[in-house]
Amino acid sequence: MLRMAERESFEELALPLLDSLYRYARWLTKNATEAEDLVQEAYLKGLRGFESFIAGSNIRAWMFRILRNTFLTSRTGLRAIPPVPLDEEMPDPETPETNFVQRANADALRRAIEDLPVEFREVLLMCDVEGMRYKEIAEALSIPMGTVTSRLLRARARIRKALS
Amino acid sequence: MTEHLTMHDIQLIADGESESPTHVRECPQCANALVGTMQLKSAVRDAMSTGSAPASLRRRIRPQRSPWMLLAAAAAITAIVLGASLLFVPRQPNALGELADMHATLLASPNPVDVISTDKHTVRPWFESKVPFSVPVPELASTPFQLIGGRVVYWHGTQVAYLLVGKAAHRISVFVAPQDFGGDSAPNVSTLKWQSGGLHFVAIGDVPQADLAQLRDAFNR
Repeated sequence: MLRMAERESFEELALPLLDSLYRYARWLTKNATEAEDLVQEAYLKGLRGFESFIAGSNIRAWMFRILRNTFLTSRTGLRAIPPVPLDEEMPDPETPETNFVQRANADALRRAIEDLPVEFREVLLMCDVEGMRYKEIAEALSIPMGTVTSRLLRARARIRKALS
Repeated sequence: MTEHLTMHDIQLIADGESESPTHVRECPQCANALVGTMQLKSAVRDAMSTGSAPASLRRRIRPQRSPWMLLAAAAAITAIVLGASLLFVPRQPNALGELADMHATLLASPNPVDVISTDKHTVRPWFESKVPFSVPVPELASTPFQLIGGRVVYWHGTQVAYLLVGKAAHRISVFVAPQDFGGDSAPNVSTLKWQSGGLHFVAIGDVPQADLAQLRDAFNR
């Protein structure tokens, strides 16, 4: 049984992340009901495992990781894992190009993001919406920083291609 | 001629993971690629911001709380969400660095401004239907500065008025918005933030800090 003080300290740290975690869950599952279930389960797991959280370390990366692991072991999550490792894809062309995104294309952009593999969608969300640095994303996803960089590059290249 | 940056380099600059090299200021092609990536980031941010967690979920996570506690928590969270949305979500740690990059990329462009005029009576009304606030354009006639023109830029999904001011061969960018831009310094350029008449201003330029203070005084006169 968790002590009250421990529960309060968990809530104080983790509750401000509710909107971010819900946003992440929405983009992982692409379904509002599943997203709510996933967030609730992640909070329960976080609370139960709070003893293993090291005070002063990054609670956001820790909670994102719990939510992601919970998702990956769910039915939707198992289906979302790609058959081929994403990092073995061919690299993008190395020359800079101008690809301005028209604001009028919001629907097309949303569809392009939804069509991305989940590994690409989540790094975009963490970087562009949550404003997380590469180091924090790497910690949340348990991957090297170089992989964060290459996934972001490939995600953006795919979006540009879809909108061109 | 220095070689062009790769998309990898450009991404690291746009994501705030590395500093913007001087090459970006000199090469329109790389400057355009950087602006394109920043616009893509901003568009993705808008598209993926799905709003806050529903109240039903909030209740599921904190069921044991009394109604008063829930009310207080909901009010606090609403205040945080409202406050955060007013302050450009998500707040970047290097906000002024991003504006300095935009300053550099705009100056690298052959057309940094959309309205070209030294006359405040031309530039000020030009903004009227384009941004949801009145843009103060100062009288610079008796100062060492000259108004060059203005345009609207998008920053973190929000419209920002942009004024370009010259001092001899130097160029100063002034960004104006109703919201605080955040951040407090940028590498390699002078920056100055101030507030006036409910608006937030950021001046950025390759000039001494005292020049920016003098320009601020012209805005506040």
